[in-house]
Amino acid sequence: MIGTRKKLSVVSSFILTVSAILIAGSLFFPWWKMVFIAPQYPEGLNIIVFPNKLEGQIDIVNGLNHYIGMANFSEANFPELQYLPYLIGGLAAITLLTALLRKKPVLYGLIGVFAIGGLIGVLDLHSALKKFGTNLSPEAPIKIDPFIPPILGHNTIANFHTTSLFGTGMYLVIAAFLLLLIPLWKDRK
Amino acid sequence: MKKWIPIASGLLAGFVAATISFADFSAKTNTEAASSSNKTDAEKVYIPFGKKDDYYLFASGGHSGQMFIYGVPSMRQIRTIPVFSPDSATGYGFDEHSKKLMGDYTWGDLHHPAFSETNGDYDGKFMFATDVGNSRAAAMDLKTFTVKDIIQVPNTSGPHCAAFVTENTEYMFLPTRFAVPLGQKYESLDDYSTKYRGVMSAVTFDQNKEKLNIAYQVALPPWSYDLSDAGKKISKDWAVLTTYNTEESTTNLEINASQADRDYIVLFNWKELEKMVKDGKYEDVNGQKMIFPEKQKGGIYLIPVAKSPHGVDVTPDGTRFIASGKLAPTMTVFSFEKAFKAVENKDFAGNRNGIPILNYKSVMEREVNPENALGPLHTQFDDKGMAYTTMFISSEVVKWDPNTGKTLDRVPVQYSPGHSVAAEGDTVSPDGKYLVALNKIAKDSYLSVGPSHPESMQLIDISGKMKVIQSAPVNPEPHYAQMIKADKIKTINVYPKDEKNKDAVYKKSDARIVRNGNKVDVYGIAMRSKFIFDAKAKRPDVIEVNEGDEVTIHLTNIDFDEDITHGFAINSYNLNMEVQPGQTNTMKFIAKKAGTFPLYCSNFCSALHQEMTGYFLVKPKN
Repeated sequence: MIGTRKKLSVVSSFILTVSAILIAGSLFFPWWKMVFIAPQYPEGLNIIVFPNKLEGQIDIVNGLNHYIGMANFSEANFPELQYLPYLIGGLAAITLLTALLRKKPVLYGLIGVFAIGGLIGVLDLHSALKKFGTNLSPEAPIKIDPFIPPILGHNTIANFHTTSLFGTGMYLVIAAFLLLLIPLWKDRK
Repeated sequence: MKKWIPIASGLLAGFVAATISFADFSAKTNTEAASSSNKTDAEKVYIPFGKKDDYYLFASGGHSGQMFIYGVPSMRQIRTIPVFSPDSATGYGFDEHSKKLMGDYTWGDLHHPAFSETNGDYDGKFMFATDVGNSRAAAMDLKTFTVKDIIQVPNTSGPHCAAFVTENTEYMFLPTRFAVPLGQKYESLDDYSTKYRGVMSAVTFDQNKEKLNIAYQVALPPWSYDLSDAGKKISKDWAVLTTYNTEESTTNLEINASQADRDYIVLFNWKELEKMVKDGKYEDVNGQKMIFPEKQKGGIYLIPVAKSPHGVDVTPDGTRFIASGKLAPTMTVFSFEKAFKAVENKDFAGNRNGIPILNYKSVMEREVNPENALGPLHTQFDDKGMAYTTMFISSEVVKWDPNTGKTLDRVPVQYSPGHSVAAEGDTVSPDGKYLVALNKIAKDSYLSVGPSHPESMQLIDISGKMKVIQSAPVNPEPHYAQMIKADKIKTINVYPKDEKNKDAVYKKSDARIVRNGNKVDVYGIAMRSKFIFDAKAKRPDVIEVNEGDEVTIHLTNIDFDEDITHGFAINSYNLNMEVQPGQTNTMKFIAKKAGTFPLYCSNFCSALHQEMTGYFLVKPKN
């Protein structure tokens, strides 16, 4: 039974398959959103980010943002939306492959790719927020100090309170990542 | 089993995180703790911020030519809708669409409003109203609360006895207050009885095209027709009108039209009239299909009634109609079933002007005379079918039982109520709860504003013993009103994009000015906080034309955001209009004056509204 020690169990394989499905499923849900609430917008305005598109009241947010000289949010400004679905799809495929191969080293590799990808994603989002919050037009009618909205949590810009939230897609991916860790513990011997 | 623990805990962690982020843990507090019976009057009418009124009240604006929208029970005025009069606040009568609707008229006398109905109940889609001043009818779309069509009604003058719609809005009937010769041509008043007619119009409304049309007219005798109602359920094919001046007097009507002890209720079967028109039983009069009752017989009957009645109202179950005596202190209850029998048996007591008169005793069910109640004008109903009649002279509302004639309750109002309106009070299923008395005289009710005062609307709680619980001043002059459950009305927040509209521009870069000889067409946009008329110009917010040019400005508001309405005014050119969110509106005029004219957004839109300006430059001819 040489090599059994490095082979993942059937249960682990099943867990990895579930993980792959969650990753693929996340493509159809929003990953991140920012809710803008102001006295005259008690119902809130939304920017909702899917892996492949932006939704929410983008036009209205853009219309208001021009007062502080912020650039327009648009799908054209986020080239990531063009290739992100393929990267996520690819990740789901590699995860499924890992489930089929049932090899521990492949799983280590997958966890590494997942972690690095996640880190890059967070940095990319942060840099986008920084770009929009600090690259304010000098011609703006209303001058405000540059700002960087947080990836998660509250911020205040002029009359707007913003709340950044993970979307369902992000939770699915986090759950998928947690599932990847289970075989490590389960098949630890 | 142990191996599932980590999986379960992983998923649980995810769900917990999701729940914390998305779930709403705010406590649902119960603010409806106090029941209506133990609320004070103030609590019954107070609507805190965040809550809305239960009912819309659509009050006719009389000679203001407008319609007033109120919330009930707060009695707060929400909006004034211009219908027959221009309104610079909304640009009504200034923009092309409303200018065409208005024709050359600058005022109207908006009398009795009526909702569109489905199966005898308000459907919340359209509101109709008539203009006694200039003989018009209008239709308002309740998605936007704007007037979509106005029709001028020929051969008739002053459709006071309107509008009432049939059970499924098949027709809106417009009987008239004044008799005039057909075509309104000159005729001596000495020939009044032979040459004058009180023409009633049957108007249809195409709900898809939002167009009014006259199906046919009826040349009724030269009397005055005051108020009317359509039948319901068993009487749905029928309608009733009150008349006065059946004396056919032509001067000093105050005395001369009040001589006869009895005037008439006109009872007609509109299905039968419709069939007569279909069968060609009519004459062509100035392009209208006109039924002359003395020649094209059938479908129309007269019923004697106590003199000069005002309102005639059909009970919610459709079995009876009640005439309010005005000059006689009597409400007369008539039975539709008895009337149908009298028609069938030809139980006639002669005829007037070729129209058979039904035997009064055969149709009348009871005369109701509450003690010292004077000047009964108009009757509404509650959810139990009980009647509420306004008493103009004795300034009160009397509640009574149409089944027995017994007086149940009375409440004084300040002062002189004309009509009243109950919650959905003229439908097949009134709600009860509220009644609003539309008082003609406010006198000392409010802070004085000089010798003339506003009118007054008093809200009466009719859920138990009648009690006036709120009083609201109102501009001249509510005649009738309609009260509809708020959730029946479905408004839109922004106009949807209409890619087929050639006048609309939705992209800033598409804004352009097209010059063709002396015609200048502007396809511009308004947005927070600028105008763009020509995206490629050095100054995109400037329109430059030559003196005498015909200028057409199509303006689209590209702020698709609730309540972000822009105005568009040109200084010294007497021009102003509005563009609601997403709407495209058009203004057309001749640049008669050379010079420099600032243009600006006249409807406050944003912190930079004051900067939302431009110039209209008109180069002199020489």
